[in-house]
Amino acid sequence: MSESIVILMIGVSTFLGALGLIALLWGVKTGQFDDQSKFIDAARYDGEDELRDAAMMQDKQDEQKKKARQKKKEKEKQKNYMPPD
Amino acid sequence: MAQIACTHCNLKFDDSVMIKEKENDKELNFCCKGCQGVYHLLNSEGLGTFYDKLGDTTLQPASQISEDLEKFDLEGFKNKYIKTNEDELSEIHLIIEGIHCSACVWLNEKVLHKTDGVIEASINYTNNKAKVVWAPEEVKLSKIIETIRSIGYNAYPYDPSLQEERATKTRKDYYSRILVAVFGTMNIMWIAIAHYAGYFTGMQQNFKDILNVAEFILATPVLFYSGWIFFRGAYYGFKNRIVNMDTLVASGALSAYIYSIYAMTTQRGEVYFDSVVMIITFVLVGKYLEVLSKKHAVDTLDGLMGSTPTEVTTLKDGIKSLVSIENIQIGDIIELKPGEKVVIDGIITSGQGSFDESSLTGENEPLYKQNSDAILSGSICLDSVVHYEASKDVSSSLLTSIVNLLEESITKKPHIEQLANTISGYFSNIILLIALLTLAGWYYWNGSFETALIVGISVIVIACPCALGLATPMATLVGISIAAKRGILFKEATFLETMAKSKLLALDKTGTITEGKPSVVNAELFEGFDPALLLALVETSNHPISKGIISYLKKENDTLKHITLENIKSIEAKGIKASHESKKLLGGNADLLKNEGIEIDGNSENSLFFLAVDNKLVARFELTDTIREGAKEAIDQIQKMGIKVVMLTGDHKQSAHKVAKEVGINEIHAKLLPQEKSALISEFQNNGEIVVMVGDGVNDAIALAQSNIAIAMGQGADVAINISDVVLLDEKPQSILEAYKISRRTFRAVKENLGFSLLYNVIAVPLAVMGFVNPLIAALSMSLSSLVVVGNSMRIKIIKFKDNS
Repeated sequence: MSESIVILMIGVSTFLGALGLIALLWGVKTGQFDDQSKFIDAARYDGEDELRDAAMMQDKQDEQKKKARQKKKEKEKQKNYMPPD
Repeated sequence: MAQIACTHCNLKFDDSVMIKEKENDKELNFCCKGCQGVYHLLNSEGLGTFYDKLGDTTLQPASQISEDLEKFDLEGFKNKYIKTNEDELSEIHLIIEGIHCSACVWLNEKVLHKTDGVIEASINYTNNKAKVVWAPEEVKLSKIIETIRSIGYNAYPYDPSLQEERATKTRKDYYSRILVAVFGTMNIMWIAIAHYAGYFTGMQQNFKDILNVAEFILATPVLFYSGWIFFRGAYYGFKNRIVNMDTLVASGALSAYIYSIYAMTTQRGEVYFDSVVMIITFVLVGKYLEVLSKKHAVDTLDGLMGSTPTEVTTLKDGIKSLVSIENIQIGDIIELKPGEKVVIDGIITSGQGSFDESSLTGENEPLYKQNSDAILSGSICLDSVVHYEASKDVSSSLLTSIVNLLEESITKKPHIEQLANTISGYFSNIILLIALLTLAGWYYWNGSFETALIVGISVIVIACPCALGLATPMATLVGISIAAKRGILFKEATFLETMAKSKLLALDKTGTITEGKPSVVNAELFEGFDPALLLALVETSNHPISKGIISYLKKENDTLKHITLENIKSIEAKGIKASHESKKLLGGNADLLKNEGIEIDGNSENSLFFLAVDNKLVARFELTDTIREGAKEAIDQIQKMGIKVVMLTGDHKQSAHKVAKEVGINEIHAKLLPQEKSALISEFQNNGEIVVMVGDGVNDAIALAQSNIAIAMGQGADVAINISDVVLLDEKPQSILEAYKISRRTFRAVKENLGFSLLYNVIAVPLAVMGFVNPLIAALSMSLSSLVVVGNSMRIKIIKFKDNS
């Protein structure tokens, strides 16, 4: 057995494991495991309806953010507004 | 008659009382208008699948509450609970009432998502808490609350900034660190197996290098990310000049790590990366278990404050106005409506009514109060409109001071220094010293710095606090699981040790020694008595006496037919009047019947209830709060164990003495307010006592928080259960005795374990100092010592129940 094969085996398997670990850490960070009971239900209530619902909420949030940004811009415009002379 | 389940809430009711309806050949039954409304609302919104998800779970029948919605849009409320985030969106934390199952969570989230202007709504199923974010210009909070109420739930706000957020954050933080540690350890372990195999059969240096580098890469994040907690702990310890367990773990792991890097780069000697990650992972998991079980007292404090009004109605020159409670001054006249909670202490100026003071005294019986009587905040006005004059402002009122005291005492709860921590402190010091001396000695005698370093490190590695670290958790784990099987829940492992050291037990009376609810001890029935009639009468009242009579009637009579009464009128703090088929019914206390001119015998040390039909006495009941079964025996045995038992109660002296005499308690403190109970506990503590307190009500909460070990009854108030350290599920006084026995036995095992692991170190460390230890021997002896500790802890299981008669 050559050294490069050992390196490859250890490297690839550790890398794959690390990917799983990172995914888990991301899940913890975004609060996906905060509620144990709900976490189990997520699998039960997983359908088209729920997906649509989530998409709708995302749209709402985006829209709100856009609005907020627009408002900010307008405010800034008003601040920087100089009447043409 | 057949019982039919309501289509919405699934509760079963008589066929005759159901509201029936036909919908596409399907017959629908509703128990009330509320359920009917919610059903149609859900179906028209396309949320009918809720019922498929619900299955057989029963819900509370929906009641439509529409009052006090405007309070959610008031300024005072806004300042207190609503936060504005960076996108100028409003944010509130709510507790949702009425959630039974995951379908409820689903429904609430769905409905909120469909509401315009709601940006985010997430509900935690475990604690029923919700976070809602909405755009204030699009929707008002009152509208959101109304939406939740319209589907049959209720919501009230709480302030999450207290401790909860911090607790969740710590938990998540630890969890991530453990994930990394476990990942690193598991992978290093299988590489280490190759290493060990190579150690015996021989391995080429270049393969060894590959394994070394792989271990190094895996160990680095474990040491510096997962082990960061120990470095931090060691640093704080260093700042305060304390050598603690963290110092030992951090210095041991770090020196082994540095040495391993040295061994790896010079290609000489063995690497110890596996030891590094093992130490970190094991000790970290132990710490995590502690963090995990930290109490959630704050949850219910929120509930206590959240249900109190933020505004009260004041009367000034005959004009009623809503004023925020912060702006109430001494002398203002406040109007109290039936069902309202008092938030400001005061004295009644007009009106009369009964007040429920159970959250202050623990006594369930309402008190009748009239002109110039003092009313205390925290009590609830039950049946009438009362005007009173504020005698204190809100911040010095009883309710606020109780909540403040509670918050304070939770954070300041006295902690007994744990035996294991004390020992490991000394232990760490000595080991570090020995390691340094070994290093210096070997360098001096041997001349080779490398060998000296290896031996020095091996001292730290073999003294690895594995057995010492396992000594306490292993024994307490067994102790806790035995206790849990007996219906005694210890919330934290260390409580076993504290409880084992305690020599003073303080008991609450109502609900702890006694059942906490009156039950019939003597019944005299005369001619013309009809149990069905009495049942119908007492069922119209919520008074504890009525409830006692109901349970008595249901026990005595198998089936009673349902009778509907007319002209029901409840008389404040006295009884109930009603009529049935031209018969006049009168049920209540002695006063009520005497006022109607009925001759009765009103002499008794117990509470009395009379029933008269057409002004003729037909029944006389004596009710009293009965003592729990086995209380006397349990208290007897506890006293025999050398523990002093005292009784603390909010009840008056006479009944306190009566109960105390029956169960054999000599020291009694009666007529105590919540804060006085707590003061008494701290007085005991100042005398050097470790106090175990058993209680069940809101009135015991501060005292429970103040005591070293708080035990709550499983049916007690939420606040009491949440701030307590131990919960007795079966509520038997015998369980208190068992808790004492289990904790003392466990503590003995802890001491044995500590003794053994110290002995192990006394033998192993000198060997390491002399340089006889190689990595394999170290690993073997370490796991052997751990096994002994585990085995000894298991012994708690066998011995325990032989003497538990």
